[in-house]
Amino acid sequence: MSELNKLKVWDPLVRVFHWTLVLAFFVAFITEEDFLDIHVFAGYLILLLLVIRVVWGFVGTHYARFSEFVYRPTVVMQFVKDTLALKAKRYIGHNPAGGAMIIALMVSLVITGFTGLLVYAAAEHAGPLVGWFTSKGGFWAEAWEEVHEFFANFTMFLVVVHVIGVLLESLVHGENLVTAMITGFKSRHSRSD
Amino acid sequence: MKKLSAITMVLLVGIFGINTACSDDDWEDRIRYSTGVKLLENPVYKKECGDCHMAYHPGLLPAASWQKLMAGLEDHFDDNAELDKELAQQITQFLLDNSADKSDYRRSRHFRNMAREKVVIRITELPYFIHEHDEIPARLVSGNKEVNSFSHCNACHKKAEQASFREHDIFIPGYGKWDD
Amino acid sequence: MKRISFLFSCLYLGATAVQAESVAVTRLLKTYKSQGATTASRDQGKIMWQKQYSGKSPFNTRSCASCHETDLKQSGKHVKTKKVIKPMAPSVNPERLTDIKEIEKWFRRNCKWTLGRECSPAEKASLLTYISQQ
Repeated sequence: MSELNKLKVWDPLVRVFHWTLVLAFFVAFITEEDFLDIHVFAGYLILLLLVIRVVWGFVGTHYARFSEFVYRPTVVMQFVKDTLALKAKRYIGHNPAGGAMIIALMVSLVITGFTGLLVYAAAEHAGPLVGWFTSKGGFWAEAWEEVHEFFANFTMFLVVVHVIGVLLESLVHGENLVTAMITGFKSRHSRSD
Repeated sequence: MKKLSAITMVLLVGIFGINTACSDDDWEDRIRYSTGVKLLENPVYKKECGDCHMAYHPGLLPAASWQKLMAGLEDHFDDNAELDKELAQQITQFLLDNSADKSDYRRSRHFRNMAREKVVIRITELPYFIHEHDEIPARLVSGNKEVNSFSHCNACHKKAEQASFREHDIFIPGYGKWDD
Repeated sequence: MKRISFLFSCLYLGATAVQAESVAVTRLLKTYKSQGATTASRDQGKIMWQKQYSGKSPFNTRSCASCHETDLKQSGKHVKTKKVIKPMAPSVNPERLTDIKEIEKWFRRNCKWTLGRECSPAEKASLLTYISQQ
């Protein structure tokens, strides 16, 4: 795309955050307890990444801010309907559905990470929440493990939906959203404009 | 041009990384560190203590338990497992040197704990063991001809003899995989 | 000439094989004799093998056959752990009775468990004679 047509959308922090998160989640998901030390490290990294991104969501560049891509549920619903009818407008930043997915992913990841810390404390007597559990193992270790596992799987489900959404959006508007998240650039005008 | 070289770089790093990770001989040992106990090759121990049952890995019991057990071989769980004094001493030392207290493998760290500090000599009486197995119905163990007892680790833990107790490697005879 | 030397080689090998099998047994029988064993009776051995002895619960009656079967050519099973024990009969399992230390170790353990005491030299001699001929 020519220089005149390029629009800088995703700043470096957003991009590095995104792909590091992808890697960290993938690593955490496949290591499980087989490589517990790596799994825990990935978990800590994810929580750290989320903290940074949330802060950036308030003080960052234009398209990185929550105020730019978080819409009311009615708007999200309408957008989804419009997309299915192939008449949704193209957004430079995150579209309403994308914005909703980001929030959902963040919430799911935080719950997954936090319950992970709970399991770590209850079952392995390690990590920052160790003081919350006095008995050695027991009911809570198992309970939190179930919750942790559920949200890990739920996050994976969201990831699949997210990928489908990105591919769909790319097809509908004739642009490569994956490349955009790597280079940071989008075309000023897409096919649908 | 810049894009192509960037992609090439990423691919090369990726291939290198995957190759290093997969060709790592200690792959299984890394998993064991997280899901099992230390695997030690001791042919003498295996021969003297592995004839009637699996040669239980030293990392499965605390030192005090091994000490007590080795001092009572004449009445070893309703059998006589006496050994030559020299051999008994040699094996005791091996067990103490590699007991759960001395190992930082994940399962060993848990097996260090005994309820109210009462010295038990059965692995199956350690609190962590009981906790990990408390959801398994009796019909799958004592009522199961292929298993009979929780002492029969390798009946269900298919890699028990390799010191690996990974959940994925559990297969209960006559029942199937156990995955909660 | 070639055929005869071949035949002799076979006989020699056969003889040494049979002999090698019972070197440990021969030595032990000598030892037991020097310890006071006047008999080494195969029939006595057989009787001992199948005799039921009383013991502590949960194994109120015990015999050699409890783990090693009445027919020594069969695989046995540990009475508690149920682990399969390879046959005792040297004719089926040539590893049996080849190591003096092993033989003595198991006599000590198993006599004490089954009979409640160590076997006498005569008893060991008879048992050894019986087992080695299975």
